[in-house]
Amino acid sequence: MALAIKRLSSIPKQQLAILAVPVSHKYQNIQVRHAQVSAPPPQTKTKFGGLSDQDRIFTNLYGRHDWRLKGALKRGDWYKTKEILDKGVDWILNEMKASGLRGRGGAGFPTGMKWSFMNKPSDGRPKYLVVNADEGEPGTCKDREIMRHDPHKLIEGCLIAGKAMGARAAYIYIRGEFYNEASNMQIAIAEAYQAGLIGKNACNSGYDFDVFMHRGAGAYICGEETALIESLEGKQGKPRLKPPFPADVGVFGCPTTVSNVETVAVAPTICRRGGIWFAGFGRTRNSGTKLFNISGHVNNPCTVEEEMSIPLKELIERHCGGVRGGWDNLLGIIPGGSSTPIIPKDVCAEALMDFDGLVACQTSLGTAAIIVMDKSTDVIKAIARLISFYKHESCGQCTPCREGVSWMNKIMTRFVSGNARPEEIDMLWEVSKQIEGHSICALGDGAAWPVQGLIRHFRPVIEKRMKDFEQREALKN
Amino acid sequence: MAAKEPVKRVIQQVRPILSLDRDEARRRVLNLYKAWYRTIPFIVDKFDIPKSEEQCKSKLREMFLRHKEVSDVRVIDMLVIKGQMELKECTKQWKQKGHVMNYWQETVEPKPADFLSKFMSGQN
Amino acid sequence: MLRVPLTRAICLTHSSRVLVTASARLQSNIPAKAPEKVEVFIDDQPVMVAPGTTVLQAAAQIGVEIPRFCYHERLAVAGNCRMCLVEVEKSPKPVAACAMPVMKGWRIKTNSEMTRKAREGVMEFLLANHPLDCPICDQGGECDLQDQAMVFGSDRSRFTDIDHAGKRAVEDKDIGPLVKTIMTRCIHCTRCIRFASEIAGVDDFGTTGRGNEMQVGTYVEKLFLTELSGNVIDLCPVGALTNKPYSFSARPWEVRKIDSIDVLDALGSNIVVSTRTGEVLRILPRENEDINEEWLSDKSRFACDGLKRQRLITPMLRKPNGELEAVEWETALIGVAQAVQNAGDKVAAVAGSLVDAEQLIAVKDLLNRLGSELLCTEQKFPTADGTSGTDFRSNYLLNSSIAACEEADLVLLVGTNPRYEAPLLNTRLRKGYVHKEQDIALIGPKVDLSYRYEHLGNSSSIVQDIASGKHPFAQRLKSAKRPLVIVGANALSRSDGKAFLAGLHSFANQLTPEDKNWKVWNVLQTNASQVAALDMGYKAGVEEIVAAGPKVLFLLGADGGAINKDNIPKDCFVVYLGHHGDNGAPLAHAILPGAAYTEKQATYVNTEGRAQQTLVAITPPGMARDDWKIIRALSEVIGTSLPYDNLDEIRDRLEDVAPHLVRYGRLEENNFYAQAAQLAKLQASSLQGDIDVKQRTLADFFMTDSISRASPTMAKCVQAVKKAQATA
Repeated sequence: MALAIKRLSSIPKQQLAILAVPVSHKYQNIQVRHAQVSAPPPQTKTKFGGLSDQDRIFTNLYGRHDWRLKGALKRGDWYKTKEILDKGVDWILNEMKASGLRGRGGAGFPTGMKWSFMNKPSDGRPKYLVVNADEGEPGTCKDREIMRHDPHKLIEGCLIAGKAMGARAAYIYIRGEFYNEASNMQIAIAEAYQAGLIGKNACNSGYDFDVFMHRGAGAYICGEETALIESLEGKQGKPRLKPPFPADVGVFGCPTTVSNVETVAVAPTICRRGGIWFAGFGRTRNSGTKLFNISGHVNNPCTVEEEMSIPLKELIERHCGGVRGGWDNLLGIIPGGSSTPIIPKDVCAEALMDFDGLVACQTSLGTAAIIVMDKSTDVIKAIARLISFYKHESCGQCTPCREGVSWMNKIMTRFVSGNARPEEIDMLWEVSKQIEGHSICALGDGAAWPVQGLIRHFRPVIEKRMKDFEQREALKN
Repeated sequence: MAAKEPVKRVIQQVRPILSLDRDEARRRVLNLYKAWYRTIPFIVDKFDIPKSEEQCKSKLREMFLRHKEVSDVRVIDMLVIKGQMELKECTKQWKQKGHVMNYWQETVEPKPADFLSKFMSGQN
Repeated sequence: MLRVPLTRAICLTHSSRVLVTASARLQSNIPAKAPEKVEVFIDDQPVMVAPGTTVLQAAAQIGVEIPRFCYHERLAVAGNCRMCLVEVEKSPKPVAACAMPVMKGWRIKTNSEMTRKAREGVMEFLLANHPLDCPICDQGGECDLQDQAMVFGSDRSRFTDIDHAGKRAVEDKDIGPLVKTIMTRCIHCTRCIRFASEIAGVDDFGTTGRGNEMQVGTYVEKLFLTELSGNVIDLCPVGALTNKPYSFSARPWEVRKIDSIDVLDALGSNIVVSTRTGEVLRILPRENEDINEEWLSDKSRFACDGLKRQRLITPMLRKPNGELEAVEWETALIGVAQAVQNAGDKVAAVAGSLVDAEQLIAVKDLLNRLGSELLCTEQKFPTADGTSGTDFRSNYLLNSSIAACEEADLVLLVGTNPRYEAPLLNTRLRKGYVHKEQDIALIGPKVDLSYRYEHLGNSSSIVQDIASGKHPFAQRLKSAKRPLVIVGANALSRSDGKAFLAGLHSFANQLTPEDKNWKVWNVLQTNASQVAALDMGYKAGVEEIVAAGPKVLFLLGADGGAINKDNIPKDCFVVYLGHHGDNGAPLAHAILPGAAYTEKQATYVNTEGRAQQTLVAITPPGMARDDWKIIRALSEVIGTSLPYDNLDEIRDRLEDVAPHLVRYGRLEENNFYAQAAQLAKLQASSLQGDIDVKQRTLADFFMTDSISRASPTMAKCVQAVKKAQATA
C-alpha cells in the first residue's frame, strides 16, 4: 500500500504529460468512430479487476495531496477544459454515451442518455444541473471522499455536464452532516470562480455557468432526486410525483437533471481520455471504473477505485485484506448500500460487482457500498436496525411507506428476540411486497428489499430463533 | 286471445265470495247482527267502556244501517267478513279500550277551505 | 414570476402553463390547435380522451370510479394515498391513477388481480394506524375510509400488536370554534392542507415530522383564520376534521336532507339542509358550478343554529303601557288592519336583507291597492332626480356572472371587500389570480384578500381619475382583454354614490373587451333580497319614507338600522314582519312572526340576477307563518283581498311582474348598458372623502344579519377571532 501511495504521489506531472498528448489525438479519432460506438461492443474481456494506477480517475482519493486548485491542476484537472467545451454539446454527449457510464447514485441509468434528455429546444426557461451530494445511504462513503479531496473534479464535471445539457447553473446539494466536505467544496468553488474557470465566460469558452452549493439539513430522503429538488426550493424534502420528470419540471419549475457526484466527477476524465477508454473497463453495459466502499467485518475497510465487474471476493481480498477470520467466517454481504438485499456467503463467492452481475444474484449494485458481515453478526438484528433506520427516514407522505415500514419495524423488533410465530415470516414477506412498487419514491422499495433478502436467505435462522424463544418461554412456565 | 278477455271478466264478476244470492247474504248479515247484539253486554263489561248497553246497541244499529244501501252481494259478503273480524277482535280482547271507543269517535273535522281560516289554523 | 407557494401543486396539473408566465403569454397569442384525442382502454372499453388526461379522469368518463382518498377535483394532485393504484398493461408497477397522464393505447385494468391487491394493501396500511372508534366518530356513515374499507379492504386484520404499543396517537389541535379535530384519525391525505393554501389562501396548515410521526396541523397552536374553514370538514375523507357545533348530534342516515339556497350573502350558494325532528342540524354545500362550486362560507354553514334562537314565534301587539303582548293571529291581524285602515294611503314598507320575492310582491300589491307607492329597500342605491339608477337591471347586477369572474384578466375592485362580503366570489378571483394570470387592483381600505393585489389607494378621487381616464390604471383597463369593474354595493350607498355609478359605469362602457359579450360593469350586492326588490320596483334607500312620514310602516325584516325611532313620526304604527327579534322588532307596535329561509319555499335572486328557490326543510316554529301568507291574510282583514291563495298563484303574479323571477336557476342576459350609463351620467357630481368597507377583518364577517346575530356559534367565532387577533 505504501508503495502504491508513493507511486501515486509521483505521478501527477508525468500523467499530465501522458494525458496531454493522447487526448488531443483522440479528439480527431473519435469523431470518426461515432457511428461504431452507438452499439456496445461484444464482450471480449473475461477478467476484471486490478485497476492500474494510470487508469485511476480519482488520484487524490485518500487526501494525500493538495486538494486545492493548485494541487488539482497538478493532477490534471481543468486541463484543456476550454477545448472540451468548444467541442460542443454533441461531442460531449457522444463521448458520454460511448463511455457507457451508468449513473453512480444507485439506479444505474445510462448517463449519456439522461443528459441528452435535456437537449430539447428551449421554451424560455433556464435549465439546471443539480448534483446530488446528499450521500446518506448507510455504508456509502464515496462522494464525500471526492468532495473532500478532489472537489475540483466535481466542479469541472459540473461545467462539462452543464455544457452538455445547456444548463445555466449547477446546484450542489450537500448532505448537512458533511461539514468538512462542504467547506472544502465552497473553497474550491471560490477558487474556480477566481480563476475564471466557472462563472461568466467560464474557461474563456464564452459559456456562462454558475455553481452554487446548498447544504441540506440531514434527511436521508433528500437524496431522492425530487425530494432533493423540493428541499433545494426550500420546502419539506418530500418526493414529488413523477411524471412530470425533473427533465420537464425540476428545480424552480425548470428542466433539471439530477446526477450523482461520482457520475459528474468522472465526466471530465472521460472527455479527456475518451469514452472508449472508459468503456474498456468492466463488462459490456456495466463499463467503467467505480468507487467501492467496503465496510464491516473486513481487516481493512476502505474506499477504493476499481474496475467494474470485479469479483466480489477478489475485491475484498485484494483491497481489504480479506474477511475478518478468513473467507469461511463470512456470513453474508450487503453489496450495494443498506437498501439492497443481503446475499449469503455462497452467492458472494460467485458475484461480480456490476449492475447486471448483482441483479443476477437477486440484489443490486446500488452505490457499491459493500457491508461485510462475518459469522459473529446477528443478521436479524442487523436488518432490524436497517428497517428502524428506514422507519425513521420515511418522509411520511405516502401510505405504503409511512405505515408499512413502521409496521415492518414492529415485526422485525419481535423477530430479533424471536417473539413471533413462523407464519409471520410469510406475512412480513407479503407486507414488504405491499410496500414495494406502491410508493411514490424508491424509499419504500429500499426498505422492503433488505427484509426480502433476509427472508430469502436466512429464513431458517429466523425460525430457529422463534423456536428457541418458545422453548425458553416454556421453561419459564 | 282478445275475444277471451271479456268472457273471463264476466266469470270473475259473478264469482261469489260466500253467498250465492241476496237471501243468503241477508241471512249472514242478520246472523252477524245477532252475534254482535249478544256480545254487547260482555264488551261493556270487559272493556269497561263509559257507555251503556243501550248506547252500544244504538251504535251497532247505526253501524249496520250505514250500509243499508249496499245491494251487491259480494260487497255485503265482504262487509260481513270484516264485521266478523271486528267481532272476533272484541270477543278475544285483541282490541283495547281505545279501539272500542273508536266506534264513537267522530270522523275527521272538515278542513278549513278558505284562505283566512287556513291561515289561522296554520294549515296549508 | 412565481407567485404562489404551491408551484409544486400547480406544476403537477398545469406544468408548463402556470410556471412559465413568459412562455404562456407567448403561446396564448397563437390560437391553440385543438389537440388530437388519444385512445385508451379502460377494462377493455375504448375511450377517447384529450392528451394529458389522467387515468382517473379517463376512467370517470366511462363511469368507472377509481377509489381515492387524497385526490380531489378542485385541488392539486398529491398522489400520496396510493389508493388509486391501477394496473397498466406492460407496466411492472401499478400506477397512481390520479396523477398519471394517459398515453396512447394504454390498457388500464381497474379490477385486475394486481390492482385489487394494491388497493387491499393500501387499505390495510391505512387501517393499521386508524383508531377503531367508528361508533363514536361523527364521520360514521359518511366516511370514505369506512365505505372503501367495506368495498376494497381485506375481510380480516393481520395487524398483531402483542407489545400493546398501541396505534399511533396524535394530540388533537384546537383550530377554532368551527372545526373539531381528532388527529388520531388522520390518514394524511393532505386535502385540508391543499384546500387551505390553494383555495382559502391561508398557509396555516402543513405537516410536521416525518414518517409515522408525521402530523397534519398548524405548526404552532393557532386558529384556522379563514372564512372558508368549514369546507375542510367536507373535504376530510375520515373523521379527523368534523363539524364542532354539530358534533355528536346526529347520524347521516337519520337526517332529512333538503336542497335549498343560502341567503346570508348575495351569492345564493346552493345548500343542503339536514334536519331531524323539526330542527336544522347542519347545512352542507351543494354543488353548483355556476355559483359556489362545492364550497360554502362559514357564516352560511354554521349560522344555522341562529335559526333556533331569538325567534318570533307568536304575533304580538304593543299594549298601551308599552309592553309587547303575545296575541292570537286574529287579534294581531285585526289590530294591524285597523291601523292600516286609519292610515289611508300613508302606508309604507321597508324591505330588509332576507326577504323573499313572494313577500316583496305581496307587500307591493297590498300597498299599491291602498294607494301607496312607498316601497323601499333598506340598502341604498344611487337614484337620481326623476330617473332612477335602478331602472335598468344591468345597473345593479354582477353582470358578468360569478363563474366568469375567474376568466377576467384584469379586475378593479371598488369599495368592496369580496373576501367577507361574498367569500365564494373571492375564491373565484383567487382562482383566476393563481391559475389564470389574473391581476387585481383595489380602491378602498387596504384589506387582506388572500391574494396579492395592487392597492390603488382609498381616496374616492382615484375613482374620479379612473373614470376620466387620467389614472394610469385606466389605461391598463383599456388594454385588458377581459377587464372587470366590481363595485361594492356599500360604496354605491354613499351619499355621493351617484358619482360612483355615473363615472365608473360610463367608463366601463367605454372599455372594449375582446369578446363583445364580455360584461365589464359589475355591482356586488351584499343582501340576498336586494336584487329581487329592485327588480320589482322597490326604491333603494329609505329617504322617501322618512320624508313622507307614514302612519303605518311595515318593516320586512328590516334590521339594518336605516329606520329608527328618530326618523319616523311619533305616531307611526310600525309593523314588524320577520323571523328574529332583532334590531327592527323593538320599534314595532305589532309583530307578525314569519318564516326563515329554511322554513319556506321562496324565491331569492342573487347578485348576478339568477332566481333560485329555497325549499321547506322544517315548519316555521310556533305560530309563525309564511311571510307572503301573512300579507295575504292581512289584506283580507283589511278588505282588499289579494288575488292569490297559494304558491302557484303568487308565482304566476311574480311572473306577470318580472318573468325572470320564476325561471329558477337560469341567468338572464342583461342589456341596455349604454342607456343605463347615459341615464346615470346626467347627474354626475363630484366625489370626496375616503372609501370604506363595512367588513374589514374576519371578526366583522360572522355577524351581519338577524340569523347570524342570533347564532351562538357565530358569537364564539367573533370572540375567538378577536382573541387571536389581539394576541397575534
